[in-house]
Amino acid sequence: MRTPAIAITGLGMITPVGNDTESTWDGVCAAVSPARTVPALEGCVIDFACVVDGIDLDAAVGRRTAFRMGRYVKFAVLAAREAVADAGLDPAGWDGSRVAVVVGTSSGGSAQLTDQALVLERRGPEATSPAGVLLTIPNMPAAEIAIEMRATGPSMAPCTACSSGVTALSVARDLLATGQCDVAVAGATESTVFPIAMTGFARSGAAARADGDLSRLSRPFAADRAGLVMGEGAAVMVLERAADAEARGAEPRALLAGTGATTDAHHPTSPHPDGRIARAAVEAALRDAGWRADEVEHVNAHGTATERNDAAEAALISRVYPHRPPVTAPKGVLGHCMGAAGAIEAGLTILTLQRGVIPPVANLDAPAPGFDIDCVTKVPLVRPVRRAVSHSFGFGGHNAVVALQRP
Amino acid sequence: MSTIDPRITDVLSRTFKVPVAEILPESTMDSLDMDSLAAAEFAVVLRETTGAELDTGTLTRGTTLARLTEHLRASAGDGSPVGTAR
Repeated sequence: MRTPAIAITGLGMITPVGNDTESTWDGVCAAVSPARTVPALEGCVIDFACVVDGIDLDAAVGRRTAFRMGRYVKFAVLAAREAVADAGLDPAGWDGSRVAVVVGTSSGGSAQLTDQALVLERRGPEATSPAGVLLTIPNMPAAEIAIEMRATGPSMAPCTACSSGVTALSVARDLLATGQCDVAVAGATESTVFPIAMTGFARSGAAARADGDLSRLSRPFAADRAGLVMGEGAAVMVLERAADAEARGAEPRALLAGTGATTDAHHPTSPHPDGRIARAAVEAALRDAGWRADEVEHVNAHGTATERNDAAEAALISRVYPHRPPVTAPKGVLGHCMGAAGAIEAGLTILTLQRGVIPPVANLDAPAPGFDIDCVTKVPLVRPVRRAVSHSFGFGGHNAVVALQRP
Repeated sequence: MSTIDPRITDVLSRTFKVPVAEILPESTMDSLDMDSLAAAEFAVVLRETTGAELDTGTLTRGTTLARLTEHLRASAGDGSPVGTAR
């Protein structure tokens, strides 16, 4: 099937370095991580993270609805508002029956579930929230966005761990390509900075332990990389068929040229040792886009700063793209925003295409010996980029890759 | 002149982001645009913060905040003084 060209006409982000797209871009380009100790994690083995800050989420969400939303839902609602406004669309005037909402998450409201479990245990059932279920289920970001925006087309929440955001973009593209909607609001959200999750990551061995300056702890592709630092946030985009966007005079930020997904079917946390399944996801995205590998001018890497991910991904990049396109890894600044990471990184890749600027990998002087990749370091690289890919590899072996193109 | 227990104002403005200017003695859940889920949550938060007995019969969609204030004073849960000087 020849799929129609898909335009990304709106972008919204809320991340540990900024509560909108512009401040996030500035923060990522500045390459300084905001990782810091988090009071709510007092007493935990890992008591720090990169967190969304400087915003009263309840006031921002407002309208007597914040009480029924987990933090992950609030992030998504705010990012979706920014994205839709950025696209020049107004939910008050659109045909909501033609609008789809596809917003993924990995952990959903596990933090709120924990809160409610504690209330039940300590205070009894009468003290638990009547909104207790709504605070925890992973579809609520999509549902709350649909309610607020009167979007009555298909809606859902892809859940593929750390690749949920790219999966959401891929599903949204398919809904547009098959004519199931005319506008898709798509992205992902995550907020899992709470004691049980942080303790779990500590025990899994994937997380970095405190060691000096927290802002220097997330070091993707470095020889002395120490593991992942937790982040949180959301990114949401507006997708339309390019012909529809053009017809209404909307200027696309980028084109979604292709997507590819595979599953390691190997181990819950370890990447497949020879990397061929992840590579197949990259190759599927390139095939979908109709690109040769040597046409890719930039790679926005998954780059978690864990021992195994970065080794496997560096090997993959050097093998698939032997022409050594410049690589960045935003997790050096933002930490690992889990289910939201793929959407945030796709958003940053779009900004790279628009601005001809590739942000540096924070906390990196040079890639580890043996990593034959060209990482941008220290300062942003100013270079026109027409074609770029963003990699996402999730716990469980969910690999998803998106190919993005300058219009 | 009837007044509103400050704990009611506090919960409505902090948890539900109802503008303080709209919180009047004659206000009801309906007039404050609090739907049934919000009203149920309001009852739980109020019960947990004041210790007062509150059930769905006490807090209906049409209950005024003045009436709710009287109820809190009457039940004065946790033995905490609800104060007549307000």
